[in-house]
Amino acid sequence: MNNPFEIVYSQPFYILISIVIFFLLFIPLITISEFLFFEPFLVFSIYPETILSFSLIIILSIFSSLAVSLNLYRVKLIKETRKIGSSIIGTVFGASAGACSCGPIAFSIITAFGTAGSIATSFLTIYEIPIRLTSIGILGLVIFITTKSLSRECKVKS
Amino acid sequence: MVDAKKIAIAGAAVALVTIVTIFASSYMSDFENTRSSTQDNSETYELKHAPVLGSKTATVTIMEIGDYQCHMCKLWFEKTRPLIIENYIDTGKVNLVFIDMPFLGSDSGPASEATYCADDQGKYWEYHSALFDYQQEIDDGWAGATRLQAIALNLDLDIEQFDKCMITDDHYSRVSFNMQTAKKDFGANSTPTFIIINTSGNAEKIVGAHPYSTFEKIINSML
Repeated sequence: MNNPFEIVYSQPFYILISIVIFFLLFIPLITISEFLFFEPFLVFSIYPETILSFSLIIILSIFSSLAVSLNLYRVKLIKETRKIGSSIIGTVFGASAGACSCGPIAFSIITAFGTAGSIATSFLTIYEIPIRLTSIGILGLVIFITTKSLSRECKVKS
Repeated sequence: MVDAKKIAIAGAAVALVTIVTIFASSYMSDFENTRSSTQDNSETYELKHAPVLGSKTATVTIMEIGDYQCHMCKLWFEKTRPLIIENYIDTGKVNLVFIDMPFLGSDSGPASEATYCADDQGKYWEYHSALFDYQQEIDDGWAGATRLQAIALNLDLDIEQFDKCMITDDHYSRVSFNMQTAKKDFGANSTPTFIIINTSGNAEKIVGAHPYSTFEKIINSML
């Protein structure tokens, strides 16, 4: 069994970690991006124009959950923690992209930082899709490097 | 050395969880902090100076708090608003008022002022709709002075009167008043935000570009 995914996810703990991280990102991101509303009652809404943004949130959440759980396994295996930092950077990068539309976070940023906040907010809004794609790229690279490294280390160990 | 790395990783993980929590709580607190103030003030808001879409004697009023550069406002304008107009406004049950909250960029304020310059010539809602139709990215020039003038030309407005109105900032104070009303009286801190009230004084606040089903349920419960 040399496939790193099989090795890691044969243990229920890492499946649980992945699920928790997925929902920890997915629910806040779809709420901030106004796909999911909790008030005045629970409503989910998606339009053809917003399918791309929603798909990127799903991919970002899946990649983050994979990157973090694979790296946690790697940390446990060889006590090497460098790449987990990259996955967290990728996640924060991607999560911040969708947070600055017309919502309360943008309002707080603009109120607190004035013109600079306004420029930052409009940048994050205009480049929401490229920023999310970049962060997915970072996470994809982290997953690729981690799995290669895990399969090599597992071979050496066995 | 390993301990230092572990501490760094734990710190990064805590930072991530904190960021997500702040995002979520910031969003959710929007509802909690403003519900009471909305119910206290919505009844006293003076509608008589605001352009009204639909019958002034309608049982239910929807107050939309928005910014002409807000993408989610455009989404609501395109997806939900036409269904509300068709099913409730055209039938005389509901009317709609727009309250400007121009906070997203430097072109937001002049865009709001331009709608009132158009209102001086009886074309407020036409100009309002045109702004959402032509909306592009925040402050990329689509709502600059020349584009606002071009929209006025398209709507066959008296361009001299429109220009004079824009240059002299005739409606600056009105837009500022709306902004303050949106923030202080209605506790709005994002766009679009909606206050739905009926003639009995029942009020409901909706934050975000909700789908038609949300409005349908609330309006039906208030009629």
